[in-house]
Amino acid sequence: MNVFVLFKKEAKEQVKTYRLLIVAAVFLLFGLSTPLLFKFLPEILEMSGEGIPIEIPAFTPSDALKSYVNSLGQIGVLVAVLVAMGAIAQERERGTIIMTLSKPVGFGEFAVAKLAALVVTFLIGVALGALACFYYTTVLLGSVDVQAFLAINLLIALYFVVCLSITLMYSAFFKSQLAAGALALVTLLVMGIVSSIPPLAPYMPSALMGWGQSLAVEGGGSAWPALIISGAIIVAAVLAAWQVLSRKEL
Amino acid sequence: MTEAIVCKGLSKRYGRLLALDNLDLHVEEKTIFGFLGPNGAGKTSALRILAGLSRATSGKAWVAGEEARLNSSVLQRRLGYLPEDPAFYNWMSANEYLTFVGELFKLPSAELAARRAELLALVDLAGAASRRIGGYSRGMKQRLGIAQALMNRPAVLLLDEPCSALDPIGRLEVLETLVKLKEQKTTVFMSSHILADVERVCDVVAVIDKGKLIVQAGVEELRQRFAHPVFELEFDQPADSAIPLLQKVPGVTRVVTENRAGGVPVLRVHVTDTAKARHGLLHAVETSNLALRRYEIVLPSLEEVFVELVANHKEQSR
Repeated sequence: MNVFVLFKKEAKEQVKTYRLLIVAAVFLLFGLSTPLLFKFLPEILEMSGEGIPIEIPAFTPSDALKSYVNSLGQIGVLVAVLVAMGAIAQERERGTIIMTLSKPVGFGEFAVAKLAALVVTFLIGVALGALACFYYTTVLLGSVDVQAFLAINLLIALYFVVCLSITLMYSAFFKSQLAAGALALVTLLVMGIVSSIPPLAPYMPSALMGWGQSLAVEGGGSAWPALIISGAIIVAAVLAAWQVLSRKEL
Repeated sequence: MTEAIVCKGLSKRYGRLLALDNLDLHVEEKTIFGFLGPNGAGKTSALRILAGLSRATSGKAWVAGEEARLNSSVLQRRLGYLPEDPAFYNWMSANEYLTFVGELFKLPSAELAARRAELLALVDLAGAASRRIGGYSRGMKQRLGIAQALMNRPAVLLLDEPCSALDPIGRLEVLETLVKLKEQKTTVFMSSHILADVERVCDVVAVIDKGKLIVQAGVEELRQRFAHPVFELEFDQPADSAIPLLQKVPGVTRVVTENRAGGVPVLRVHVTDTAKARHGLLHAVETSNLALRRYEIVLPSLEEVFVELVANHKEQSR
């Protein structure tokens, strides 16, 4: 098994090609800016209102967390697609995949190592964003339930792993990373549309973000079917990438 | 002698294109085998199947005793492969890349470090080993490609156009390396367009066209069997006026003008029957009133054999 050697190389690549830095910077920005915005928004509005009194209710930590989950649900998905779309496609386009796969490297371990490195990159990003959000929300807006906050971030991270694995699967299909990225976005968009159909909503991965939001607001709620289906999608996407690699000409 | 590579009825189809057509090959151990063919003949397809990177549509192949199956790790442990245009992770250095390859072959770290240093010295990259590969020239990348293919001390080395990106000195170094490898009992299977290189190092060659094997033989045997003799005629002045006279001599198939250093053109006269042509050619030269400087029967080059074989095959398949 060479999966660890491949993972080590992939992880190093995430650092050397600045992907880790970009992902960490984006998540950190949202983690920092959301509680800051909620703290200072009334003052900003008051200053720009030129003396006209504007009544804004005081923001709570839940408001900041809900907005944080919301923002990550949109921008984070886009970042996930952008970072993962070239994972295999670019290797095929450049020919580096030929050099690696002419060594004793299984197609499956090649795909798994790619996904693992991307997941670690996003886990670091989510962790940094979460730390910043937790610290500033606590300092500026009030205390936050640590357990619920942890659960929210784990759900966010899992949703990103779904997005990464779908993008990785398309990246195995195409030599063009743009085609892989476009199809991944279309798939995620279709999944988003399907999740607006009430009977199907609890089963779609985006319900994880809704679960996160309700944890932030009410401290409750659940979407266990979505959790199971998300796991199934991740496994199916990696298996599909493996199959595609073994069937398509490199 | 045992066989390092065997192909039996190997075919590869891409949609409607038949890239390999029932290819049979036998490559003996510890030889340098030249795999020749025009562009699109199927050389890269065959090499990829042998390297476990592509699946044959039909037929079978064995490399170092192991069946060439897609993504077979047992197979890939026994061979080294260099693609035509080796591509690397540009952010890595040669040191990092060779370490990565050594780890994939599970070399213990002390052995890996020694092998890496040995290979970097062999391909003359020791001085640039810590530089990013992204800044390497094509020749340097090609040499690094050869080094990575040798990391596991393969029994069989598969090289797809190993000299195509190299300057004459680089080519010479690679060819010398290949000869050294043969001395170390490695079988080298190389495709090449540069027939002078093949002629210099290969023991046996196979010529393929449109996926079909035209011939497989030793370089010398190939010349004897397939090439007609060539007369070289060198004059003191331009000799265009002699060409029509030479072409009329019985047994002459074609006359080719070659410009060589010194500016005096040399006429290469291809004939079917040396004895018959010998007197006729001299008579034609006499008639032309040109001053003959040199008149010699030469052995045809592998390039001439190759051109003739491929041309004959194309004619037959029409």
